[in-house]
Amino acid sequence: MVARQSRGDRRELVRERVFDAVSLTAAVALVATIVLFLLQLFIASKDSRAAFGLPFLWRSEWNPVTEQFGALPMIVGTLITGFGALLVSTPFALGVAIFLADYANRRIAGPVKSLIGLLGGLPSVIFGLWGLFVLVPLVSRFEVWFGHLVGSEALVSAGTTGVGLLSAILLLAIMILPFSASLILESLIVVPAELREGALALGATKWDTIQNIELPYIRRSTVGALVLALGRALGETMAVTMVIGNGIRMPHSLFDPSNTLASAIANQFLEATSPLYISSLIELGLILFVLAILINVAARVILRRGVET
Amino acid sequence: MREAPFEEAGMRTHRWASAVTVVLVVAAVLALAGCGLTGQPSAVKSLTGAGATFPYPLYSKMFDLYDGATGVRVNYSSIGSGGGIKALTDKTVDFGASDAFLTDEEQAAMGAPVLHIPTCIGAVVLSYNLEGKPSLRLDGATVAAIFLGTIKKWNDPGIASLNPGVPLPDLPITVVHRSDGSGTTSIFTSYLSAVSPDWKSAVGAGKSVSWPVGIGGKGNDGVAGMIAQNKGAIGYVELVYAEQSGMPAASLRNSSGAFIAPSLASSAAAAGGALPDDLRVMIVDSLAPDAYPISAFTWILVYREQQYAGRTLQQAQALRDMLTWILTEGQSINESLYYARLPQAAATKALTLVNSMTYGGTTIPR
Repeated sequence: MVARQSRGDRRELVRERVFDAVSLTAAVALVATIVLFLLQLFIASKDSRAAFGLPFLWRSEWNPVTEQFGALPMIVGTLITGFGALLVSTPFALGVAIFLADYANRRIAGPVKSLIGLLGGLPSVIFGLWGLFVLVPLVSRFEVWFGHLVGSEALVSAGTTGVGLLSAILLLAIMILPFSASLILESLIVVPAELREGALALGATKWDTIQNIELPYIRRSTVGALVLALGRALGETMAVTMVIGNGIRMPHSLFDPSNTLASAIANQFLEATSPLYISSLIELGLILFVLAILINVAARVILRRGVET
Repeated sequence: MREAPFEEAGMRTHRWASAVTVVLVVAAVLALAGCGLTGQPSAVKSLTGAGATFPYPLYSKMFDLYDGATGVRVNYSSIGSGGGIKALTDKTVDFGASDAFLTDEEQAAMGAPVLHIPTCIGAVVLSYNLEGKPSLRLDGATVAAIFLGTIKKWNDPGIASLNPGVPLPDLPITVVHRSDGSGTTSIFTSYLSAVSPDWKSAVGAGKSVSWPVGIGGKGNDGVAGMIAQNKGAIGYVELVYAEQSGMPAASLRNSSGAFIAPSLASSAAAAGGALPDDLRVMIVDSLAPDAYPISAFTWILVYREQQYAGRTLQQAQALRDMLTWILTEGQSINESLYYARLPQAAATKALTLVNSMTYGGTTIPR
């Protein structure tokens, strides 16, 4: 070490300072953006909060003509499609992750992993188109079959369009699969080799090892992964809008057309003109934002505990 | 699990990478700041407008030709009528465009009188998916009952009595409506409110309404897609869209009792009756004998007083000239793009409105 500062050192120091300042600004800007989002949504939904108050959350009327607004149909639609999709996709996500981590050889695992990445990167409008032209007709046929099976004339006659909650759930399940599968895969990969090898050395079969060592080990991070996937499902807009039927009424069955917070906003915001109408749509956004924050916080808490134990 | 490319690549790459990062971040910040600076272009070379999506194909063709003829570029963003009204209220554009005229509330929010200049006539048609594509005849009460959900099957006596000789299946009716707020919905529900008291009291008219039955599709193509996919579906789309995609369209009984098929001529005829001077009028259920009843103007909105938000006289003149062109030479473009042209009487009234624009309280000089 030389005591005297060379010119190079000083230049290095200046560069460090500038870089520090710039990255700090970027970090602060990011946090500020989120806080400002929330604040802006809160301020802009003032009219609606003043007019409807807390009952906005459980009123089921949504009528732009009479300006009576309530968010319940959208909240219900959002939660049913989100949790429904999670329920359908989780077994597949676990299956895919376990297969890739423990069963597939490298020649298969590589391509499958990149295909999962590809699926995760597809624009949602493509999922939506596929849903509309392929999935919806299939669901429609299933509806008629199911209607005959349970002998429901109402179902057969009223629910033959295929668009509705069920189509949205199935489509979302496919859309969040790559997300949860790759997160679960990541946590499976970091299961310590000693544990796995130890179990195998004690005479456990592959399935014993997975069941008794790996799955318990990744339990928390799996829950975290699923919660993150749920967050994604709740906010999905385009694809859901294309297959959910966009009926703003309380759904009575899985075959009914419904609506989500995100799709209601996307559909109606552009042509909404009256202040109360706009404000109510913004309050839907606020609800979705808070929902997303709650879910992300839940995921972080679960993930952190997963690391500690 | 974390990758560490820098450590492996050595100090030199590290410095290089950090310098690049700094440059990129600074550039991004400058670009963001720069957005504020590149605001208004300097007068007459260009005009900006925003609003309705329905007349967008027509406007983009018109503005393209106008640019070629006069060298004045018109930048039009089709962000929806609501957005257009908001942009005009905020005074960020030279003109707005809307498929529905301003409500008194919206007019009040503008703070100054706004002129409604019609540019063309649009029609909304009822299209359906039935075996053999029969041509159907419907009337207002029947259409309202279908969309209210009181007529549930195609072989309902209400439909059958209007269509003697047409074999109607014992098939449930699937109602398809727009899920997005739209001028098309506004025109259609205004028609239903005009012809059916039941509809008016139960649902009413607007760009989005609380639909009693049916499924929603986004945009004309969304509705058309859902009609195409579901046997027994009925929905409403713009005439332009139905003509271009060859969908069947029902003839409707108009106020004179005649069944009129939707066409450019029959929708233009809807504007053939007496019109108020401000042209702020719905021409649905028109009294004209050969009018197709679900027809409507689409408007360009401008402030009557053009001296606002630092606008120059040249800007006002350019806007006036552009609007005049749309109402005269520009009208010849309408029909080639499946928009009905304004009848002469309506165009004359619209020109009078354009010429009533003022700058600083006096008529804008030629």
